[in-house]
Amino acid sequence: MKLALAGINHRTAPVEMRERVAFRLDELPQALHTLQEQPGLREGMILSTCNRVEITATLEDGADVKPVLCSFLSSTHQMTAEAIQPHLYVFEDAQAISHLFRVASSLDSMVVGEPQILGQLKQAYTQAKEAGTVGSYLETVLTRAFSVAKRVRTETEIGQSAVSVGYAAVELAREIFGSLQRRRVMIIGAGKMSEAAARHLQGAGARDILIANRTQTRADELAQLFDGIVVPYTSIFQHLPEVDIVITSSGAPHYVLTRGAVRSAIDARRNQPMFFIDIAVPRNIEPGVNDLEHAFLYDIDDLQRIVDRNLKGRQEVAGQAEKIVSQEVERLLARLRSRDIAPTIVSLQEQLEGIRREAFDRYRNRLGELTSAQQDAVEAMTRSIINKIAHGPISELRREISGHPGEEASEVISFVRRMFRLGDRESDK
Amino acid sequence: MSVFWLRAAAALYSCGLIYALLAIFRKGSRLFPPALLAFGAGAILHLVSIVELRAELGHFPLSNFYETTSFCAFLIAVLFLVAYSYYRVSVFAVCIFPLVFFMTLIGATEFPVAPWMNPQIRNAWLVLHVTTVLIGYAALVLASVGAVVYLVQERQLKRKEIAPVGSKLPPLATLDRLITVALNFGFVFITIGTVVGVVWVFVDRGAKWILDPKIDFFLFTWACYLALIFLRTSAGWRGRRLAWLAVGVLGCAIATWGIHFGLRSVLVQ
Repeated sequence: MKLALAGINHRTAPVEMRERVAFRLDELPQALHTLQEQPGLREGMILSTCNRVEITATLEDGADVKPVLCSFLSSTHQMTAEAIQPHLYVFEDAQAISHLFRVASSLDSMVVGEPQILGQLKQAYTQAKEAGTVGSYLETVLTRAFSVAKRVRTETEIGQSAVSVGYAAVELAREIFGSLQRRRVMIIGAGKMSEAAARHLQGAGARDILIANRTQTRADELAQLFDGIVVPYTSIFQHLPEVDIVITSSGAPHYVLTRGAVRSAIDARRNQPMFFIDIAVPRNIEPGVNDLEHAFLYDIDDLQRIVDRNLKGRQEVAGQAEKIVSQEVERLLARLRSRDIAPTIVSLQEQLEGIRREAFDRYRNRLGELTSAQQDAVEAMTRSIINKIAHGPISELRREISGHPGEEASEVISFVRRMFRLGDRESDK
Repeated sequence: MSVFWLRAAAALYSCGLIYALLAIFRKGSRLFPPALLAFGAGAILHLVSIVELRAELGHFPLSNFYETTSFCAFLIAVLFLVAYSYYRVSVFAVCIFPLVFFMTLIGATEFPVAPWMNPQIRNAWLVLHVTTVLIGYAALVLASVGAVVYLVQERQLKRKEIAPVGSKLPPLATLDRLITVALNFGFVFITIGTVVGVVWVFVDRGAKWILDPKIDFFLFTWACYLALIFLRTSAGWRGRRLAWLAVGVLGCAIATWGIHFGLRSVLVQ
């Protein structure tokens, strides 16, 4: 049995291609059944996100991986195999495991370290499991992939820094306020960017969102979106002392918030800190505000700089993560191989034990009446003989197998079976 | 007899001190009216004692340090009460109540009392003083460490140099809370320690205790601390300024402690 992985992703295929090959959520159960009916295929899972469509499957040893999976993809989407082939990558065994681990750990993502992919992979696994297309082999590989992803996340800092402007704003707000629970936010000028920042802040627990915009309809629209409160544009200053975080993105050609206005707001708040996020160009908040005590002002460039630095940091961290992945691939391969060898070892032990028992039963009568202590001693002695004989072959076998790829390993196994006259047993299938 | 009234006044003023200690935790607002009442009653007894002392001495009692301190405390008390009756501003009480209490306490130590009846009481009293002051110092050290971290974190945020993940400092709000709580606890313990210490040294050494510069420096440290607490509760000082103040008071405390090394030989009799 071998593991194979075939797919297309954001690097190998343009979006037009990816969207054609993608599987909708409701199509998946049917697609999984079709997948399992492919010749030589035993287990299968389909991962379909906006950036990748990947099929992970186990096939019988002789099966030809690429044509099988390629024809599956083309036939399910009414395309020709030739259209898909140039974009398709196919990996087998160690490479397939490595790719799967990298995907799960978000090392293969467009934004390295983004956390969604692991959830998507888990969902794909659950769906395949529900469809009954996941067997013990795929199960072993996938659960390992999830724990590798977890290990990468805890041992490296790959996903810990903000890589979008909105999220960077949340990170900064946390540096100032700690928890954002019950913090109040005011949006001045309801642009797309401020909407994104406000959504992140709300997601992080911010309580009230006040919205001040020149056009009433857009303000109402946003208020509905965030369950926010619309305040008249003219009463910004009146509400300023009540809010902890201010996001500005209005098209005003002059400063909406001056240093003086912010200073009196902070005085009115008895020096509680305030965080200003100015996403507007030209800027809405006088830069001198940052010099005021208890006021922290970040403009769009400051936020972008943080995002850029974090992205760069993630690339650096990715190297560490790759090391973890290759380590884990080795570990899993060794485990899978020892899984192949396990039935042989068990039958070898059973064979020897059978011989021992037979001999013991045969010669027992000649030993005369034995006390139970003597009987135990004979048992122990004979058992110790077979254990000593078996120890060498078993440990050599293990070592031999873990160092060799699939086909050589199966030759070694069959040689050992012949050597010890191990018949095909039930457990060996 | 005048000293009895003065001591009674100090006892009444101590209610004000207790109120102030609770108020810094924002838990004493309902206690303000009774504390004010006790403070007013204390001021009346204070007046009685000054008048009596005038009669006993035959001249106005401003001839030494104790008498002037006591009189000054009385004036502060009266001014506070007058101001309060006009403006109803209670925030100053946090500063005025402890101050008046301490000045009156010092004023009341002009005439020595009977020395210790039992050396064990003397030692237990001393242990109480040292323990409370040291607990106070410990809280002050904690606050100062928090303050230094606060200053670093604030500077990074202002300069937009956020430390990379992994070496992150706690959020400003958390540090501000830590500093505030630690400072409040420190103040309560150091205040108790100061009262206990002043009473101990007065009983032990009579009226001359005030001439010891070590003790004066300790009182100065306490006064700085009082000023810090007052600025925080009434003027709303927090953040960077509070952090610097905390570090400053810790500096005073360390100096005081250093000076106290010299006291050891005096204490072991």
